[in-house]
Amino acid sequence: MTAATEQRAAASEIGEGTSKRPGRSTPTIALVTLALASVLLSTWLCSGMSAALPVTALHDWLRFDGISRLFLLLVNLVFLGIATYVWGRVNSEAALQKGIGRYVTCVVVFMAASNLALLSNDLIALWVLLEITTLAAVPLIQHGGSQAGRLASWRYFLFSSVGLTFALLGFACIGRGMQLGSLHEASFSIQPASSALQAVSEPWHRLGLVLVLFGFGTKLGLAPMYSWLPDVYEAAPPATTALLAAVQFNVTLVAVLRVLQVYAAADSAIVTLELVALGLGTMALSALNVIAAKNYKRLIAYAALNHAGVIAVGLAVGKAAAYGVLLYAVSNAFIKAILFLTAGKIRSHYGTERMSEVSGLIKDLPFTGLFFMVGSFALLGLPPFGSFLGELIIMSGLVRVGHMFVFAAFCSILTVTFVATGRAVFPMIWGEPKKKAHWGRQPIATMVPKLTFFVALLAMGLYLPAGVNTLFRQAAAELGVR
Amino acid sequence: MTYLLLGYLVVVIIPLLAASWRVSLLGLALQGVLLGWVALKSQSELSATTLIVVVDVGVVRGIVAPWVLQRVLVRSNAPRRNDVIPANLFSWVLVAAIVFASFRFATRLSLVEGGNPMHLATVTAALLLGMFVLASQNSMFSQIVGCLRIENAVALFELSASAHLPALLQLSLSVVFLLTVLLFARFLRGQLQSPQPLDAIEQPTL
Repeated sequence: MTAATEQRAAASEIGEGTSKRPGRSTPTIALVTLALASVLLSTWLCSGMSAALPVTALHDWLRFDGISRLFLLLVNLVFLGIATYVWGRVNSEAALQKGIGRYVTCVVVFMAASNLALLSNDLIALWVLLEITTLAAVPLIQHGGSQAGRLASWRYFLFSSVGLTFALLGFACIGRGMQLGSLHEASFSIQPASSALQAVSEPWHRLGLVLVLFGFGTKLGLAPMYSWLPDVYEAAPPATTALLAAVQFNVTLVAVLRVLQVYAAADSAIVTLELVALGLGTMALSALNVIAAKNYKRLIAYAALNHAGVIAVGLAVGKAAAYGVLLYAVSNAFIKAILFLTAGKIRSHYGTERMSEVSGLIKDLPFTGLFFMVGSFALLGLPPFGSFLGELIIMSGLVRVGHMFVFAAFCSILTVTFVATGRAVFPMIWGEPKKKAHWGRQPIATMVPKLTFFVALLAMGLYLPAGVNTLFRQAAAELGVR
Repeated sequence: MTYLLLGYLVVVIIPLLAASWRVSLLGLALQGVLLGWVALKSQSELSATTLIVVVDVGVVRGIVAPWVLQRVLVRSNAPRRNDVIPANLFSWVLVAAIVFASFRFATRLSLVEGGNPMHLATVTAALLLGMFVLASQNSMFSQIVGCLRIENAVALFELSASAHLPALLQLSLSVVFLLTVLLFARFLRGQLQSPQPLDAIEQPTL
């Protein structure tokens, strides 16, 4: 072990040693209650409005349609899982109670802005809400006060700000295109813009669309502006990483889906070209970095980049892969939540994030090892998980629309990533334990969320209840304009 | 309007050639004041949205943002010298090339699409120079300056629109910008006042 690792291990032991009887944490109980209420509310919204979609409310500021309902349910389920995990962790380690009130406040602001962004019926309002999630995420990344966390939060904030500024510039260009065309007035409301696309000025519209996708792509971690993502996912506390990877990623994805829903039909060729370039570039960079990764949190981060690339390529295909993209994105959220929360447990048990120092997880920490194994299988796109089905639909979509070169590149990069990830992760799970097996305490509260996500992942690959499947189909139909 | 835009171009370029954070902040302040002036000149009637736009660009960008950053730097006794771009002939030639290319681009686009080529050229030059600052510097302050330059360039572009966003959205954009500046200042203060070694012992995390 390196000196730094020993220091961390010692610090971890100190943390566990001083936390025999932590008191009850009111902020985390409030967080779990709020998350539960959000899940109940979003379930009611999903089950209560089956006919006559989309529905708008609050003077057309809010929009309830297939996309918003599907992702509302997803992010709130993940939120409940993360809230339960935080509650379990804080209750098991007294040291974690320091600053928890501020952490919970920021999570609440983050989640409120995320929910509103999903429901937003105006692209500029969605942009503002996305920026608010960014502002709220900065203290969440810094939580714990480490210098690495501070540096990572700076990189996150800088890249996000620049990316979102480009997206705003893109909207300004699209607005200029509308004004120079026969519309005379720019509107970013999701409904009217789509019906009046023929009347816009083409160069401004194209430039705007390219900038918006580039800007939101930065927030998704797509190449070339991807370098912030591994740093942040590595340095942030696991609960924050799960929030960023499973919630903020999907909120940004919804922003991209909205843009494509409204504007892409008029400029299909340039959208396809940009998304394929961003997607394949990201996948290739991710594969190279997965091969070189020595740190398991970083490895998961690079694998998450690969997933973002797959989604971008799937979006480029359009209608033929819309269902697969949604299935893949939703599975992806659960996979990342499972893996990052499990990584938190591994980190607190071994006191290191180096893969070479973690071995025999399944013997040492059976439940954690099991979740890590399942998450890794799903991450690699193995059956019977939803990610496998999603990937398959995207690949068949590529063949159906005749993008054979993209298909070949897609399959080759996926194979490299598959082999490299397996080579790195499998010894961690099944290798010989390097130290004496110590069955660490695993509070039920930290396991229940992962178990729920695991069941959801399995269900998406094996059997989707009719109601949930309808939700996916509605969202896919809204996406499938092209 | 052309004189205002020319003035904007000058306050975008000159601070790049002076290696001082005070000049950088003065440049940002003047950019904000000129943006406010452009906003006032381009509006025929005074509505709530126009007022918000003028306050946003003139007060928040022109006064609040540079003042907040200046306070942090003064309190931290930051060294006087700060290169916004690398101080060498290559960088200066690159700046000249960016300005020249921006005017060529604006002229060509205006021929096809109409609009004021001077306005478009100023926006393009300001945007690209902001990106150049961001790409060429590692220090936090320079990156903040680069970011704010890009934000100002986008604001200048939006001012050329014949109609503005609804007042509520415009207000939200201003508030988000203000919060961004405050967070920039917090980061800068943290970096200048409490440097901490990277290998410090970490506590258990959530």
